[in-house]
Amino acid sequence: MALHTIGVKNLISRVREVFPDAPENYIIMLINDALVELGLYNVKNMKAKLDVKADRMWYKMGDDAIDVSGNPLNLNRLFRVDFMDSDGDYIQIPRLLDTNILLNDVASEPAIDFPS
Amino acid sequence: MASNIKYPDKSMLWFIEGDKLGLLSNVDSSGNTRTTDRKQWKAISETVSEGILLSYQGEPNKVTSITSSLDIDNTLQVSIVDYVKRCLYMDKAAKGRQEDSAVSLSLAREHNRKFKEGVRKYGQRKREKTGGTRAVVPYDLT
Repeated sequence: MALHTIGVKNLISRVREVFPDAPENYIIMLINDALVELGLYNVKNMKAKLDVKADRMWYKMGDDAIDVSGNPLNLNRLFRVDFMDSDGDYIQIPRLLDTNILLNDVASEPAIDFPS
Repeated sequence: MASNIKYPDKSMLWFIEGDKLGLLSNVDSSGNTRTTDRKQWKAISETVSEGILLSYQGEPNKVTSITSSLDIDNTLQVSIVDYVKRCLYMDKAAKGRQEDSAVSLSLAREHNRKFKEGVRKYGQRKREKTGGTRAVVPYDLT
């Protein structure tokens, strides 16, 4: 049984029932604005793998961050991190809530990788 | 390639600062716990290919053409129609005559209300659709 979904073409035709002269590019822009707003809610859960580098403390999670395959992360909220153990299995690691850490281990990192 | 860390749940920590993930470890490159009291937790000492698995809420992919599909659950797709109509009615209200503007503004508010209601209703509950209990199945005691 096929799932009922609305594609962009279908959405534009629905909108043009009321606004026949609405430009296609403008509607697509508004759709993207709506997707950004909807992205603030819990609408898309994802997983991604990252390489870990020796002596690197900080890893980019911003809009330009990519995973091991080069795909953009598009990350809004990180809720779990697993690390590969000596058997090659991913084990959940705890989150540190008090981030007032004593040591900033950035001696081997370029300044650009420090959190902004 | 596996790491040298036997118990990452005891030897690793993560935290967020700004838009960066901070990763700390209290073991050296051989997987032995650092014995010093100070500076025990530092950056990880080894390179591990595909060492971290992240679980996160992602942002839907953007739409580029008329043939694209919406990268969002179908329960929320109708809300996008409301969002687009809200914006177009607001544009119309800004351009039109005063009496037309009042009608357009009222319709814009109505679509805004429906958009927000749809997002509140389904945005938080989407996970229940795939992970929640749909029916209570009693144990088979026979």
